Amino acid sequence: MKYSAEKHNPIFIKLTLWALTVLVLLPFCWLIKTAGPDYLKGIDNLFHAQDGIVLTWLRNSAITTLGALLLSVISSITAGFVLAVLEIPFRKTMLVITLITMLIPITAMAMPLYVMIDKIHLNDNIFGLIIASAYYPFGAFLSYLYFSSALPGDVVGMGRIDGLGDWGIFYHLGIPLSKSLWSIVTFFSFISLWNSYELPKVLLNDPKHSTLPMGLELLFGQGTALVGVLMLIPPVLLYLMSQRSIERGIFSGAVKG
Amino acid sequence: MIAPYLVLMAFCGFIPLIFAIQEVHKPSWVNLNGSYTTIFRILRDFRVIPALWHTLFLLAIFVPLMIIFVLAISLLLDATPVRGNTFMRLVLLLPGIVSGGIAVLIWTSLIGSDVHWTSNSIRWLIGGIAFTSGVGSWIVIQYGSLRSISHEVLEAARVDGCNRIQLALRIKLPMIGRYIGYMTILLTAGAIQIYSEPSLLMSTGLTTDWSLSQVAYSYAFRTGDFAGGTALSLDMLIPNIILGIIFILRTDFLKKAERP
Repeated sequence: MKYSAEKHNPIFIKLTLWALTVLVLLPFCWLIKTAGPDYLKGIDNLFHAQDGIVLTWLRNSAITTLGALLLSVISSITAGFVLAVLEIPFRKTMLVITLITMLIPITAMAMPLYVMIDKIHLNDNIFGLIIASAYYPFGAFLSYLYFSSALPGDVVGMGRIDGLGDWGIFYHLGIPLSKSLWSIVTFFSFISLWNSYELPKVLLNDPKHSTLPMGLELLFGQGTALVGVLMLIPPVLLYLMSQRSIERGIFSGAVKG
Repeated sequence: MIAPYLVLMAFCGFIPLIFAIQEVHKPSWVNLNGSYTTIFRILRDFRVIPALWHTLFLLAIFVPLMIIFVLAISLLLDATPVRGNTFMRLVLLLPGIVSGGIAVLIWTSLIGSDVHWTSNSIRWLIGGIAFTSGVGSWIVIQYGSLRSISHEVLEAARVDGCNRIQLALRIKLPMIGRYIGYMTILLTAGAIQIYSEPSLLMSTGLTTDWSLSQVAYSYAFRTGDFAGGTALSLDMLIPNIILGIIFILRTDFLKKAERP
């Protein structure tokens, strides 16, 4: 059955969206054009510049991004679940601290973080950077918002009647209902870690320990456009991989109405 | 279950925050004896007032524009099945996943090097870069939040005779209110703390100490006055704390999942 709203063809909506898409796409076509025309030679030059230091940066970036990604996604999603669903003391205090630490300028936190990392002797070490970047209040709060609407109290209540504990509810109800949340948090955590610039700059000194965005500054001018294109590839691939689950609605199947 | 997060929160968030607050107490160039009045005295710095005006400019024009744009596009994407929807969202997201340096490179090259920048025109450029790099990721989040509205609710509204516009304004927007609040707080914080765009445009000679974060950075890392830099950074939190309190008091921002 068709309702009145569905009758007219939404040509205006389609035109607006397509016009915008083209407008956004143009600068990227330009970027790809500037990086070329001989991409393979460009990449070859880039990887051999200064004894292949770009590859070292790439490796460092990959290790820190993946290491911190694992910690940040798991810790922030479980935290969001607990804060939204379980009865725990100081729940609001934790939410407020999450919000404040998320909003505080990096300038204020850089020095203290440096001191903290130095205390555990991980200064100028990529493992220190992993620990310092793994705290992801943005993801925790997003998960909190998500679970507090995706997992209504009556569903949790039914789980309890079935004899599920906290972990059981997370495993049997939380995880299946939050596929799109996992995708979104993973994706955004990945982008912010992959592009992270200020924190590595404060915590790492040796150019050999640099990450890709930091190294870009040292390379600036030589093949920046090419590096720009190459740096876009991992997030775009990740987005394409996770897009289907981002689309899926939260309520599909769990609660009616 | 929340333990890993709490450990990280303590180590990377809470303890550094306490450190930072204590840091303000120490002697600063604006307050040689050192006390918490540095928080206010720092605002008298001659660089702070212009930076404050720049921030207000971004807050007055670009933050509302970003909010409206993100919601409008997400609602349009959600309104009707359009062929190429997936491709569109990927393209719209692209500016958001470009790192700051590359974004400035793209913009300055597109506009050309023969433009004579003035302090008036450069703020539009900075706002524009911030706009394009900020909206893409929020479209993904808001589109996701719109997709999560239950089909039954939407179907019921349609049966009641809602057209697309009514559906968007009366049903969808109120239902994602908390996500909109979250976005507003974070976009405001982003505008107040803007740093990489103006610092990457410093070659124009117009954007040294353009934003509050840059002034704070100059204090902390150029003159070694951590007390001053931290005091200014904490000042930048004030509008967000006020905004946060408004959201907490006026909406169900911190409420738990509903109990039957």
